[in-house]
Amino acid sequence: MRTLCSLLGTNVALLTVATCALGQTVGLPTPRLLTVTPMGGQAGTEFEITVTGENVEDSQELLFSTPHIAAKPKLGADGKAVPNKFVVAIAADAPTSIHDARMMTRLGVSSARAFSVSKLTEVTRTQPNTTLASALPLAIGSVCNATITSRAVDYYAFEAKAGQRVAIDCAAVGIDSKLVPVLIVADSKGRDLVANRVDGFIEFTPPATGSYIIKVHGLTFQGGSEYFYRLALSESPSGQPAPRQAATRRVSSFSWTAADASLPILDEGEPSNDRAGTKKISLPCRIDGAFAKAADVDTFEFQATKGEVWWIEVASERLGLSTDPFLLVQQVVRDGDQEKLVDVAELNDIPSPMKISSNGYSYDGPVYDAGSADVLGKIEIKEDGTYRLQLRDLFGGTRNDPRNIYTLVIRRAAPDFSLVAWAIHMELRNGDRAALSKPIALRGGTTVAFEVVAIRKDGFDGDIELAMEGLPRGINACGLRIPAGKNRGILLISSEQDAASVHATAKIVGSALINKEYRARTCFLASTVWPVRDASQEIPNPRLLADVPVSVSGSEAAPLTILAKENKLWEATEGDTLKIPLKLNWRCEFSGAVRLKTLGDSFEGTKIIDVPLSAPEVEAVIDLAAMKIKPGDHAIAFYGGAVAKYRHKLHELNAAQEHLKLVTERLAAATETSKHLADEAAAATSDKRQELAAAALQAAEALKTAENEKLAANQRVQAATDVAQPKDLVDIVVSEPIRLRVNPRSK
Amino acid sequence: MKTARCGSAITVSVGGCPGLPACLGMIVFAIGSTQIYPVVANDQVASVPSFRNDVIPILTKASCNSGACHAKAGNGQNGFRLSLLGFEPQEDFEHIVKEGHGRRIFFAAPDQSLLLLKATNTVPHGGGKRMEVDSASYTTLKRWIESGAASNLASDPQLTAMDVQPSHGILQVGSQQQLTVTAKYSNGTQRDVTHFSLYEPNDKAMATASDEGIVSIHDVPGNVAVMVRYQGLVSVFSVSVPLGAPVDKLPAEKNFIDQLVFANLRRIGVPPSDLCDDSTFLRRVTLDIGGRLPTVEETSDFLHSGDPKKREQLVESLLSGPDYADYFANKWAALLKNRRDETSDITANFAFHSWLRDGMLANKPYDQMVREILAATGTIVANPPVAWYKRVKEPQQQIEDIAQLFLGVRMQCAQCHHHPFERWSQTDYYSLTAFFSQVGRKPTSTRGEDVIFHKRGLAQTENKKTRQPVRPAALGSPAPDISADEDPRLRLADWMSDKSNPFFAKALVNRYWKHFFRRGLVEPEDDMRDSNPPTNPELLDALAKHFVTSNFDLKDLVRTITLSTTYQLSSAPNDYNVVDRQNYSHYYPKHLTAEVFLDSIDQFTGARTEFPGLPVGTRAVSLPDNSYNNSTKFLKVFGRPEGASVCECERVQSSSLAQSLFLMNSAEIKAKLATGEGRADRLSKSNSADAENIRELYLAAYSREPKIDELQLAEAYVKKLRLDAQGAPLEEQQSKRLAYEDLIWALMNTKEFLFNH
Repeated sequence: MRTLCSLLGTNVALLTVATCALGQTVGLPTPRLLTVTPMGGQAGTEFEITVTGENVEDSQELLFSTPHIAAKPKLGADGKAVPNKFVVAIAADAPTSIHDARMMTRLGVSSARAFSVSKLTEVTRTQPNTTLASALPLAIGSVCNATITSRAVDYYAFEAKAGQRVAIDCAAVGIDSKLVPVLIVADSKGRDLVANRVDGFIEFTPPATGSYIIKVHGLTFQGGSEYFYRLALSESPSGQPAPRQAATRRVSSFSWTAADASLPILDEGEPSNDRAGTKKISLPCRIDGAFAKAADVDTFEFQATKGEVWWIEVASERLGLSTDPFLLVQQVVRDGDQEKLVDVAELNDIPSPMKISSNGYSYDGPVYDAGSADVLGKIEIKEDGTYRLQLRDLFGGTRNDPRNIYTLVIRRAAPDFSLVAWAIHMELRNGDRAALSKPIALRGGTTVAFEVVAIRKDGFDGDIELAMEGLPRGINACGLRIPAGKNRGILLISSEQDAASVHATAKIVGSALINKEYRARTCFLASTVWPVRDASQEIPNPRLLADVPVSVSGSEAAPLTILAKENKLWEATEGDTLKIPLKLNWRCEFSGAVRLKTLGDSFEGTKIIDVPLSAPEVEAVIDLAAMKIKPGDHAIAFYGGAVAKYRHKLHELNAAQEHLKLVTERLAAATETSKHLADEAAAATSDKRQELAAAALQAAEALKTAENEKLAANQRVQAATDVAQPKDLVDIVVSEPIRLRVNPRSK
Repeated sequence: MKTARCGSAITVSVGGCPGLPACLGMIVFAIGSTQIYPVVANDQVASVPSFRNDVIPILTKASCNSGACHAKAGNGQNGFRLSLLGFEPQEDFEHIVKEGHGRRIFFAAPDQSLLLLKATNTVPHGGGKRMEVDSASYTTLKRWIESGAASNLASDPQLTAMDVQPSHGILQVGSQQQLTVTAKYSNGTQRDVTHFSLYEPNDKAMATASDEGIVSIHDVPGNVAVMVRYQGLVSVFSVSVPLGAPVDKLPAEKNFIDQLVFANLRRIGVPPSDLCDDSTFLRRVTLDIGGRLPTVEETSDFLHSGDPKKREQLVESLLSGPDYADYFANKWAALLKNRRDETSDITANFAFHSWLRDGMLANKPYDQMVREILAATGTIVANPPVAWYKRVKEPQQQIEDIAQLFLGVRMQCAQCHHHPFERWSQTDYYSLTAFFSQVGRKPTSTRGEDVIFHKRGLAQTENKKTRQPVRPAALGSPAPDISADEDPRLRLADWMSDKSNPFFAKALVNRYWKHFFRRGLVEPEDDMRDSNPPTNPELLDALAKHFVTSNFDLKDLVRTITLSTTYQLSSAPNDYNVVDRQNYSHYYPKHLTAEVFLDSIDQFTGARTEFPGLPVGTRAVSLPDNSYNNSTKFLKVFGRPEGASVCECERVQSSSLAQSLFLMNSAEIKAKLATGEGRADRLSKSNSADAENIRELYLAAYSREPKIDELQLAEAYVKKLRLDAQGAPLEEQQSKRLAYEDLIWALMNTKEFLFNH
């Protein structure tokens, strides 16, 4: 860990600084890996992949979140790297799972794209298969990588035997695709037999041996490069659930950790839907069960003693299922032969600690739901006796699906917490949510802010300190504590202004004092899968990332860096007004207004700082009395939206101009030489004339080459000039963190 | 006709024949124009008119408390408000006696009461004259005022029953029948209320009824019912009108449908038409099950097949194919309001439509399909029937839709007052609503879409009238004991799929019967009530029983219907049954629906209608929602519904001038005729003889070979060389192409093409 700010917490309100202007691009250019084709590979193989992305064209480095996969640029016949092509090697012992692929670029590490590792034979579709006649044969035991064409249906043909259980699994959303797949199995003439439009999976048992057709299309027939899928065909093992392909993790899953291994594991033991089938259990325990049948109610009975407190957690939705567990605990009171049930507790959803975005046109909260439809809560036993626990799926009234499993844990208090972080967003331009999918690719002198959200468990209510580990040189992090009783903190990641290009996989860590021991918990990082330009048209799809890569560009600096004029601990006395001069390093022209608010628990009320454009300094005035800031150490930062006249790829323009200058000089020299030799040849005696004429001819050819080079150089300058035209671009600007100490006023 | 009154005994003479009063109270037979008329014993004439039992019925008969007059929703008419049809006598008493500064009743001079002055139009009255001065009604009202205009609602006897005599019978065409209505009260008294009852036949083409209760039979044979209403009660006079023709030769019966249809035809003396030929059957059943025309190849194969089971095989083939699923999903999607109001509805609509379609494909039992809609939970993407809860959000709307769609009961009226045609009260309405009182909603990431779940708690809702809580109870059933832990919607689904449910199976079989026969056994198909009996009750019962026994197997129902001889009767009437419109003595031709018609034209011309965002070649019957009605004028002009109502009547099936003009002149049709690689283009380039090409056209359009005269006419037309605008002869291929375009256009514009027959 390179930096750990000792800091008090923060609980700022939603960041909403309206800096709206039509025609502005949102966010600085950032590297994004958009597609990888094929989208996965078989363990123990080496193969070629093609990538597409934004601002990744210069990259020759493809990274993976697992050391079991390595990539190197594909080299052409000339020994040079072929753009956007890599050769990937997957180790034979690579886990069959989803991993994140990224590219390291001039601007830093790119956003992630899911990459699957399977045990199946990989096929990549190369020819269109959008008609029955062009159906692509697919063997059982293989997986095909393909994309859906808009307004079209993909056809596959396979052979199967009567009675054979064939699992047809189309991975799409779970591998970052925009495709909502429809799967249809048809007879050899294309007549539909069975369809699935819900979760891309069909277990098909052929009525007769022969050829069958699989049709794949989007639910609404959308298509394109972002609508990719992996269609796996495998034989289902007898008596076992059919295998599914791995999928990325939804955000809510961060709060589920494997149950305490010391707990006795019980099987649900269907049927337990009625009182007669009630299963008797002893606490504590863990029960693995399923909402297998429609309106399934699993009922358990246990004895408990007055004063006991039991914590109950159910995981089902967080396992990636579309379920909504509901748990009811009742005391069984017997009066003779009569049995009466008295409600003790109803446990339902885990609420999101933050108000979630309504996905309207205007930004009104994060798109990340850190809550869950699962259950986490406690029951307090007021009387000795028998208690009955009912567990049901509120979504399961009419469906029969044994794949809807759950794990129920009943334990004594084990105070703990789980953390997830995501980049903050603010209303930069209505509808644009592209900033939500930015990688941590910093320019020199940049600070980015992340919201860190905690789900607290089993009564844990203390401070949670935030920090990062594994940061490379040139990058620092400052965690603003999640205060006791609260669920939200801020993490600031800053790059030094002169940092060199670097990347590393870091770790966000929260630590807290629990039962007199410090415990550290790794914080997950969440991101939206695709840059969303208009949230009213496209719902952002978030997921957990596999790891936390951080990087510095090295080739570009932030358009504006804001930092305290002095790098020190700023001290003040309780009730005073603290004035902090801020230094502003402007690196390009800006327009509009720059107004800075304050990040930091209890400091949100700080007067907004109006920053005159190009001002080298401004003063932050913090009225400690007005905000009732208590003595102690604090950390704050200032942030706001700013519109830069950004010049993209200015380095390319500079290089082009340099090259033009060189070529121009070369041309001048060639012109001079050519003229000189021509003159000499004209004036030469006959015995020298032939020799000089040949030299003059050579010089003329060199001149022509130089002229062509200049023409090309001019074109390159023109193209680079076009790209580097100043363009209004709005982004979030965050100051470097500032540490404060408020001393108590002496009595 | 003369009507005489003697006490309460009424005699009617028709065509000069004297009537014979008699107390029969049983079936009557009318032969020719001579009838025997029943009479009911006299009532007990009260010395002081009762507000409830005398005044209100007069106001009802005079239409004062109809929905269009003083019972109009809101504040009645011109400040004078009455409850609809007098269902709330206490409120009416307050309005009449106490409101309007007491000027509606003038005790000192009852004749000057505004109530009477307005009713007789003595004082200008927007509703005109409703009664004559000194008429019986006037006198009763005046006597009530003179006696002090008391309400006596607590002490007056309550109406407990009504009796209509005769209750049913057989009447000849052109005859009449006097009905007699007797009201029975809680104190054991009864009275003749014939003149205060309201009469409404369910088929005005067959019969009409006068205010005095005289039913006049027209010239259409069949079964007709006259609904008789008195206060809150409803009864029915059912009558068969026989044609009386000899029914001595009937086609072979294939199943119970034929037994019951033919039994009815024998009863009313209407001989059925002959069986239709293979061409007609192929085209009819392919359109009805698959929503498309048979291909030329299918037609050729079918016509040439000598297999005696080929009709059965055809039905089986159609039922096992995706066309059936597409066509019936199209039907249900509109009824379930799968409409697109916002762009963001697209995913929900595609998901819900597909769910319906896949259910049809897999032949999901109907009760299961309904259960999954009624008790849907979760998200739309994971469980598409949740989409219904996006479209239909309020519990009241939910039960109204469900009752109409799945039970064939229209409950809308009962939200505000006792149902005027039915036995359903507001309590019934809110009891049904209470099943949906525990539907929980949570917002999703898609605006306007909720996650649906069962919210734990005791299911109940408030009766908006009484402000009292009401527990869930299904129609005509006691309130079940539903614990707070149970999703009451599942109990409603249980009740629906119970084998003894009197509504669920009947509503479906009637709906499907209408799909295949154009006319439901009950019309409208979703208004099944005691006062609107089926034309063939035994058949409706048998179909429902069969459906229940098959475990609500929709394909089996379709199979049973289409394999019946009744379905396979010719649409060509014989000498007797041309007037029959409800006894299924012949097949009733029906317009192709907008989607089927568009697909048929595409198939016939070889054109393809493109729908935005959908694969090229998508058929109109496969469209998921109404948004595509804007992508081609065709669908709008030919009445494709917008998914705004659960009523099939939203689909416009009548002809219009716009449709004719569209077929004749529209650029869309012209483009289809002239489409490159289309049928006209292909035939014009074909090496086959013109006769072969013409034969293909007839097979494609009508599923039959051309007749000799048709062939000769068409051949001559094709051979005729055409000239261009300058009068120069066109090249032969171009000339032929134009000729084939004309022929296709002509065939397309015939009734034989426009109708399923």
